[in-house]
Amino acid sequence: MTALLAVEGITKQFNKRRVLDAVSFSVRPGEVLGLIGPNGSGKTTLFECLAGLMPVDAGAVKIGNRSIPSDKRKQALFYLPDAIFPWPEQSVKWALEFFRKVYRRSHSEAASLVEPLRLQELLKARVGSLSKGERKRVLLALGLLTTQSLLMLDEPFDGLDLRQTRDVMNLLKSYAANGRTLMLSIHQLIDAGRVCDRLVLLSAGRVVGEGTLSELQAQTGLPEAGVEEIFLALT
Amino acid sequence: MHSLSVSELFWKEWRELFASRSYWLLLLLIGPLVGQAFISAVALYAEASGNGIGPAALAQGLTPLDGILVPTFGAYDLAATFFLPFVAIRLIASEKQSGALKLLLQLPGSLSAKVAIKGVVLMAGWLLTLIPGLLAIVLWKTYSGHVYAPEVLNLLFGHFLRAMLSVGIAVAAAALTESSASAAIVTLGFTVGSWALDFVAAGRGGRMQQLANYTPTAALRFFEQGLLRLSTTLVMILIVVAGFATAVIWLQLGQTFRRRALRSIALLFVVVVGAVAAGNVRASWDLSENRRNSFSRADEAALQQIKDPLHITVNLAPEDPRLTDFEQNILKKLRRNLGEVKVDYAAGSQTGLFEGAEDHYGEIWYEMRGQKIMDRSTIEQVVLEQVYKLAGVTAPAAEEDNFPGYPLATRARGATWIFYGIWPLLTILFWWLIRRERN
Repeated sequence: MTALLAVEGITKQFNKRRVLDAVSFSVRPGEVLGLIGPNGSGKTTLFECLAGLMPVDAGAVKIGNRSIPSDKRKQALFYLPDAIFPWPEQSVKWALEFFRKVYRRSHSEAASLVEPLRLQELLKARVGSLSKGERKRVLLALGLLTTQSLLMLDEPFDGLDLRQTRDVMNLLKSYAANGRTLMLSIHQLIDAGRVCDRLVLLSAGRVVGEGTLSELQAQTGLPEAGVEEIFLALT
Repeated sequence: MHSLSVSELFWKEWRELFASRSYWLLLLLIGPLVGQAFISAVALYAEASGNGIGPAALAQGLTPLDGILVPTFGAYDLAATFFLPFVAIRLIASEKQSGALKLLLQLPGSLSAKVAIKGVVLMAGWLLTLIPGLLAIVLWKTYSGHVYAPEVLNLLFGHFLRAMLSVGIAVAAAALTESSASAAIVTLGFTVGSWALDFVAAGRGGRMQQLANYTPTAALRFFEQGLLRLSTTLVMILIVVAGFATAVIWLQLGQTFRRRALRSIALLFVVVVGAVAAGNVRASWDLSENRRNSFSRADEAALQQIKDPLHITVNLAPEDPRLTDFEQNILKKLRRNLGEVKVDYAAGSQTGLFEGAEDHYGEIWYEMRGQKIMDRSTIEQVVLEQVYKLAGVTAPAAEEDNFPGYPLATRARGATWIFYGIWPLLTILFWWLIRRERN
């Protein structure tokens, strides 16, 4: 299958410490790709580099054979960071409306996010007054209102309870089924196995595996293994 | 990919401006600040006009520009120095700290346009703060006070540029630093630095004084004197644009530090070259009603016949009041009328107190077409006579000063209520309404 986006040799150092080491993988259209790795493995740094929000020391992001400069990446992808609280003095309703208007989404498209993300009771609240889980749901709604073909979500299930996690997974799958490509960074390996079509395993800034669960099982020779066992076997 | 939604971003920034406590504080305090300045100015003007307490000053010496407008609008200089920078810093720094900048950078449209929209919103926000100042002018008119529109508009324009200068510096500082507190320190550092430059220049004169002409305080002074200098305007605009350009460079999170630093150096180079070029622009307009920045029309016509460069060597120390007189009453006007005026400041000391007579202290030499004349006077007609003599131009007949002056002994009726009562109450009411609507 033709890749929507190819990541080639992304390398990033902070001072002398190499946090991303020639990271390469591809993203296919319409898939849910999981970027899996423990805390500190470089997932967020990689996302910021891909989104053009952090300079890289080497490497490229390509669409087809064309390298996309960092300031043009927003045409192809949107990255939703974790642990941000944008415009804390504004209401949730305003934030959703702002994104809806900027991306010229219809009222019904925006309204369709309110129920699955349980935003109804939050609409009048200030963004700055939300709990971690509430904020996460609002941020997810903002991300899903964008129109870029690839949406990168950093820790989309962090802060959500079991029921909310299940609902968000279903919502993301429905978006992918409608052609949106999703790339999720997840440190909870069980969550990753439930929602992702393919996985990129990241450890200490290096890609240690890429493929579907069955491909990774075959690669590690562990036919019955879950993501957790596979990750441990590869690192 | 959608194009930039200008109106959405504008309203977003507008809401952010009104979510800022520092902006509401500015709005709240600007009323009493303007009011206090206006009420004091009206009282002093009444005293000078002869309100029965003491003798009146000469009517020609009483201009509403000096007596009412400049002191009243002085409150805006204070606000632009101590309040407005914090409003501007918040508009940038809060988005950096909350992570909203990462979303903003990915929204459609260029970063330059997004930063420019912030600038436009800050300008609009500043214009709102001008309401108390404009109310003061309306009150003055209701007291039968005189207002000369070109002077007022020039003063308002000067304060607008002054405020934008503060905004430009603050926006750049907010983009360059990690936190609002650091940005505030950098901005205040710039302000204190410009005061220091003013102070040092007053003692040294010469080139230093030329440079100090572009500090916010000194630049504003030209507008307060009714003078619209193109060079001052261009340099101020250049600094404002440079401040915003610096912000654009440093908010590009995806660029390396080295690349951003190189771009900043290139920008600095362009600004320095641009400022030097703009500093040499000679066009200026005297918009004061009493033509305080101009010679008489007859003298101006005579001076404009002179095409040869004039070289002046001044043996007066920078702190000598005669040099201040000479600069204000002669040089400023000569530069506006002669094609080329070159001035050398030859005094060796700072004060002139201990200069010996053998050092030619106090002499002012005028040179044109190889001829030299020396004089010690700093009186306008005496100096002009020397210049006419050197240029071989017949001195025109002296013109009478037609400026009548506008004495007015009145009280600032209603001002206390408006500025200390109604304005703060309205500000609090609007703050409460907007906050209630938001929640």
